[in-house]
Amino acid sequence: MMNIFCIDDFKVAFEKLKSKKSYNTIEKEVINYFFKETAQDLCSGTRLNHSSDSPYIKKRLGGSGGFRFYFLLIIKKEALYLMFVHPKTGAIGSDNITDESKAYLYKKVLGCINTKDFYKMTLDKTGKKLSFEKSK
Amino acid sequence: MEYLSYKNEINDTFSSVREFSFKEKTTPLVDEDEVNSLLDSINGFKKKLKTKSSKIYQINERIEKLTWLNDLDNESLMMLNDLISVGKDLKSSLVRQYVSMGYLRKRGIAKEEIKDFKNSIDELKESCEDLESVFFFLPEMPDFTETTKRLSLI
Repeated sequence: MMNIFCIDDFKVAFEKLKSKKSYNTIEKEVINYFFKETAQDLCSGTRLNHSSDSPYIKKRLGGSGGFRFYFLLIIKKEALYLMFVHPKTGAIGSDNITDESKAYLYKKVLGCINTKDFYKMTLDKTGKKLSFEKSK
Repeated sequence: MEYLSYKNEINDTFSSVREFSFKEKTTPLVDEDEVNSLLDSINGFKKKLKTKSSKIYQINERIEKLTWLNDLDNESLMMLNDLISVGKDLKSSLVRQYVSMGYLRKRGIAKEEIKDFKNSIDELKESCEDLESVFFFLPEMPDFTETTKRLSLI
């Protein structure tokens, strides 16, 4: 299984969505996709950066409407960095993020990797809850 | 004489009511065959819409897969540019179809199917925009390309 990390932008968005009734399926979506798929399987969705070794991916999850996840896979290190998530529909839903935002998140995740400024994401014993542990 | 004409009028009215009453008892307003035919039409419409949405989702998936292609030459990029234009044109046609379903939506007919059809159109728009970003806009952003170079050194 991949080592799963996230940057602050993801954690903030995730916690905000999880606290809202209409989006509280998000935790299940993260667990079922990112914690259960292989690196090969995670190479799907829209690749934003033309890189085969470190694809920057936008993935639709959660059925009709659902969520949009942005993440970076560093295949040789078996590491996955969740960068951002937003819902497609509902009160705080949006169609897409701008190219500037995509570039900002991309640059930011690289900076966070270099300074080890990220959270390690793990599952609790029941396998149904996520926890975040700051790496530095 | 006047009484006679009253009686005739009463009798005529009686006959009309009697005839109408009998007809209403023997011929119900809602004909089962007509209802079945209406329901068949609605089911046919739902099925057609589901098939259409499924086809749009398949197209979206195929567009998404194109973002995994490497080292495209100029001719391929031109083909992608044409694909983006055709995709946007398709989206416009589908939006017109969706708008024309307004009277059905208001009456709650095929609600879920119409909602999913709308979602498939939204995703088509998103797929075309993303394809354009990946091959034409993001590669032109210095910050973005610099990050890719630096990432390759990790």
